[in-house]
Amino acid sequence: MKEELFVSGRNIPNIDPYLNIWHWQIPSYLFLGGLAAGILFFAGIFTILGKDHKMTASVKIAPMIVPFVLILGLLFLFLDLKHKLYFWQLYTTIRLESPMGWGSWVLMIMTPISIIWAASYVREIFPNWDWKFQFLKSFEAWVIKHRLLIAWPMTIYAVILGIYTGILLSAFNARPLWNTSILGPLFLVSGMSTGAAVIMLFSTDHREKKIMGRIDILLIIIELFFIVHLFMGFLAGSEAQINAANLFLRGNFTAPFFAFVVILGLIFPLLLESMELKGFKIPIVIPAVLILVGGLIFRFLIVEAGQITRYLY
Amino acid sequence: MNKIKKDGSTYLNPYFGGVILGTVLLLSFYISGRGLGASGAVKNSVAATVNLVAPKHVAQSAYYSQFAGGDKRPMSNWLVYEVLGVLAGAFLSGIIFNRLKLKVEHSPKISSRRRLLFTLAGGLIFGFGAQLARGCTSGAALSGMAVLSLGGYITMIAIFGTAFIAAWVLRKNWI
Repeated sequence: MKEELFVSGRNIPNIDPYLNIWHWQIPSYLFLGGLAAGILFFAGIFTILGKDHKMTASVKIAPMIVPFVLILGLLFLFLDLKHKLYFWQLYTTIRLESPMGWGSWVLMIMTPISIIWAASYVREIFPNWDWKFQFLKSFEAWVIKHRLLIAWPMTIYAVILGIYTGILLSAFNARPLWNTSILGPLFLVSGMSTGAAVIMLFSTDHREKKIMGRIDILLIIIELFFIVHLFMGFLAGSEAQINAANLFLRGNFTAPFFAFVVILGLIFPLLLESMELKGFKIPIVIPAVLILVGGLIFRFLIVEAGQITRYLY
Repeated sequence: MNKIKKDGSTYLNPYFGGVILGTVLLLSFYISGRGLGASGAVKNSVAATVNLVAPKHVAQSAYYSQFAGGDKRPMSNWLVYEVLGVLAGAFLSGIIFNRLKLKVEHSPKISSRRRLLFTLAGGLIFGFGAQLARGCTSGAALSGMAVLSLGGYITMIAIFGTAFIAAWVLRKNWI
């Protein structure tokens, strides 16, 4: 009797035949991170441009939620970790080629900045607030005096954070759907668009709403352009990348992607916002919520589909 | 062509609206290979929800197990997406014709509450009937008649015939 021993390196649960390690935590974090980056970018850029008194919701009100959004996102990232108690090793292991290392440091810088920024406007938004301790009061006075000094790094780091949410995925060379450098700018623009949507929800000023609406229209058009180019790039690529694109063009993800992300999450809000500029009366909450839900579903689909795509076989 | 109401809202000419609806039906057959439907989307949503809450009940039920349970994906259905489009389109039409506001349309002689209760009762009866008939006005009658199905014509006659009688019986709610 001949016996054959078959050894295979392919039987790796949760990694082969397809990746099954990232669940709801990662896309939820990518959404929250992009949203925070979007809001802080607008807060920073309008301060730098000297429009902080005109763009109240962008500079003062919407950034109030950012610390909570970021901390919630960090909590999701923490929940995703397998060895939760070793999370601090992300900060002791300096590796320039590690996207998670980059992300950890960007968040390490961004979260305190967002807290300081929001705190410096608390007394303006809630006049009855009292900081209780003298050192907090003097720190607040210093921040208010040097807002521009904070606005610059905040704006730059907001862009880095927004791009990073895409780079986290595109650094995965083994996943053809993620392995494209267009994901960085695409996630940045999408995050800025969701940030603009939240600002529009908070804004009570007609002029500010109109400006943010116009910016959002531009962002949605750029995002659609990036999405088209994402798939154009895939279709011009290797067989594995063509297969990855086909998941969205003629596969299981086609219907939810085009219905919820492209049509209801981008084109329909774009149409509503353009109609509003033309003078039609539209409750702003509808396009804003559609953009937010579309952005969330977009990240869920990209993370889910990316884990299925592979170079092997 | 537009009928102007007191509050500045307008309505499309019904004949023109009918032509648009027919074109939509034609496009629906052309693009998706399926007709229009409305109750099917609700039915699939209900089946998916019941399957989420009580999967055992779905497995035992002869009715629900047609649509949900096992590897069936009731929400991955053309009608579910179509109804989302209907909502978006209706919203756009409401904006264009200046009718976008939260209100209950009813005769001045009855209260909003009465109107809503009758609507709910009518909806329940119609939903039940649509399942017995295997389709509603859009799914069975409109799409059925478009492909010259006899069932479609019978459904149309039954729906509008019953509506004629019901409208006379319940006329006090409107006039």
